[in-house]
Amino acid sequence: MASITSPFLIPSKTKTKTCYSRHRHLTITASSRPLRAAVIGGGPAGASAAISLANANITTFLFERNPAGSKPCGGAIPLCMMEEFSLPPSLIDRHVSKFLLLSPSNLPSLFSRHLSAESHYIPMLRREVLDSFLRERAKEKGAVVVPGLVTGIKVPGSDKEPYVIRYTSEGSIQTIEADVIVGADGANSRVAREIGAGEYATAIAFQERIRLPPSAMSYYTDLAEMYLGSDVSPDFYAWVFPKCDHVAVGTGTVSSKTSIKSLQASLHARAGSKLAGGTVIRVEAHPIPEHPRPRRVVGRVALVGDAAGYVTKCSGEGIYFAAKSGRLCGEAIGRLWREEGKVTEAGLKREYLKKWDDEYLGMFRFLDILHKVFYMDDAGKEALTEMCADAYVQKRTFECYLNKKMTVGPPWEEMKLAWRTVGSMMRNRLLGKEVEKLRKLEGSYPSII
Amino acid sequence: MASFSPPLSSTLPTSLNRVHFSRRNWLCFLQKRNQSLFLAKSIENGAGNVNSIATEEKRESSPVAVAEKKEEGAKKAESLGLNGTVSTSVKAEVPSFKDERWVGGTWDLKQFQKGGKTDWDAVIDAEVRRRKWLQDNPEASSNNEPVVFDTSIIPWWQWIKRFHLPEAELLNGRAAMIGFFMAYFVDSLTGAGLVDQMGNFFCKTLLFVAVVGVLFVRKNEDIENIKKLIEESTFYDKQWQATWQDENSSDKN
Repeated sequence: MASITSPFLIPSKTKTKTCYSRHRHLTITASSRPLRAAVIGGGPAGASAAISLANANITTFLFERNPAGSKPCGGAIPLCMMEEFSLPPSLIDRHVSKFLLLSPSNLPSLFSRHLSAESHYIPMLRREVLDSFLRERAKEKGAVVVPGLVTGIKVPGSDKEPYVIRYTSEGSIQTIEADVIVGADGANSRVAREIGAGEYATAIAFQERIRLPPSAMSYYTDLAEMYLGSDVSPDFYAWVFPKCDHVAVGTGTVSSKTSIKSLQASLHARAGSKLAGGTVIRVEAHPIPEHPRPRRVVGRVALVGDAAGYVTKCSGEGIYFAAKSGRLCGEAIGRLWREEGKVTEAGLKREYLKKWDDEYLGMFRFLDILHKVFYMDDAGKEALTEMCADAYVQKRTFECYLNKKMTVGPPWEEMKLAWRTVGSMMRNRLLGKEVEKLRKLEGSYPSII
Repeated sequence: MASFSPPLSSTLPTSLNRVHFSRRNWLCFLQKRNQSLFLAKSIENGAGNVNSIATEEKRESSPVAVAEKKEEGAKKAESLGLNGTVSTSVKAEVPSFKDERWVGGTWDLKQFQKGGKTDWDAVIDAEVRRRKWLQDNPEASSNNEPVVFDTSIIPWWQWIKRFHLPEAELLNGRAAMIGFFMAYFVDSLTGAGLVDQMGNFFCKTLLFVAVVGVLFVRKNEDIENIKKLIEESTFYDKQWQATWQDENSSDKN
């Protein structure tokens, strides 16, 4: 277990505690040099970290093994991300302002029936467009983008030594030294493996990209669908999300990974005629972390984004949290360097992890509760769909999702909401129990799909 | 959102009785087994190569690929309109849910009249049958005939009458029996009659505990369920706090 509190000491005149004044500069002696940071992984997390690091005048190397690749991803970002990361509207392929939720018994619930489309929409974009935009910005700020695959990291024995990163680029093996590493290399993170960050449980997301004929595609112009039911996913949901000129049709699961193909087939059956005439142009799958790794900061290495496991339950959202955590980590490193003159494990935990947990743990916990209550059986999914038809729920959900702020509404409304939720859950649970009783009576069990 | 303890404690028996692969759900959920069978391909493909994730590029130019997937679960295949090229595979004709009282995506309440009033019991029974059917034969969702029925159409008093009252009767009976024998027992031990017992704080506490106990622990299984519930609801939090646990234990070293 790496509990190396490894202060990387530079000869400096003063050792300060956490800062109080921006104008207090550490005097750096001539023999020391600027901090070298390596960000491994050039997705939203890595690029944001590189941008923040470069802004703090830290020598930054951003490693990306596949700059032109497209990632299997829903491609939906919350509205607040446009503003927080100054994303130009030209990146967006389409605005999804209608969201259709379908319960196991096919009860539809149209989200945003009660909301205006101009201010409540989900921007959909292509990952390759977003990722390369952020990497370009990192390059502009001064980061060096290294197209290469990192194959190994040598963890130093003492605090004075740097990390040695071995990578292949343009066919040759090269090494580079770095004082601080930000691991942003996704769900199968190599950095996490090298530093012993621990494992996490993953869900698998499997999706097909289907090109539909124009008449079918017009139905999905600004509409995304979410299918609930144990036939399409026992513990998650299946989706049809419109992308630039095709739809992404997929499903995910934690517990039934071996049946993913049959779950996908059931999704096709459920979507029915809406996908008629489509041709499959791509099939892709990827693991999605279910919870953070046990150790997100080890030594002078910090994990961000999917590598750290920042994907919410219930909605499976990760892009925003990846970018935000990358930015927070980069800023934390910059602050530590500027104010304390050294980057340590304790410092990283204090400035990055603690701030991250304080800000977002509540939201992650809340979504986990929603997941546990509503996703685990058909009755819960029915109740969720019924609740989502309600105007108040839609408003609050969009506020929380699009603005990423957990707000509490007026207490009377919250109580009414709780009452209605409990009522809906109980009714559907009772019906579920009756179905079980009927099954026992008739002696039949559903066949495994 | 408020807490949901009453409904939660009853999910576990129902899910455990389900199809056996859902039993694995709970076990897998509680153990952290890494089941990424699909993603065994490692990332070491050298610089700049894609496809470390299991992607396959299928350049299919006919609708047959999509159609074949539909065969496995095809229901209203004839209405899907892509049949030109699909005549080769066998279509499993699974009938969709049909009931003369299910009209236009909801139950036609006029057909449930009994003695001039709607027979809600029959509506509940019909909906239960529909849901059981749908579990066994999932249907395609359709925009032409969307489902409109939702459980709030059935009035609240019907739910209470059918589901709550019988159980309330059972629990009240049990509580009364336990209460009577405990009162007798305490009287024989301490000589305090019923009126004296009720005046005592300790006795009142015991009474409260007994009532709450009967409410939450109705069967022996409930004790296990409550323990599992507590374990599960704190599980996610423990995973997040794992980083800080390490820090605390290393400080002690």
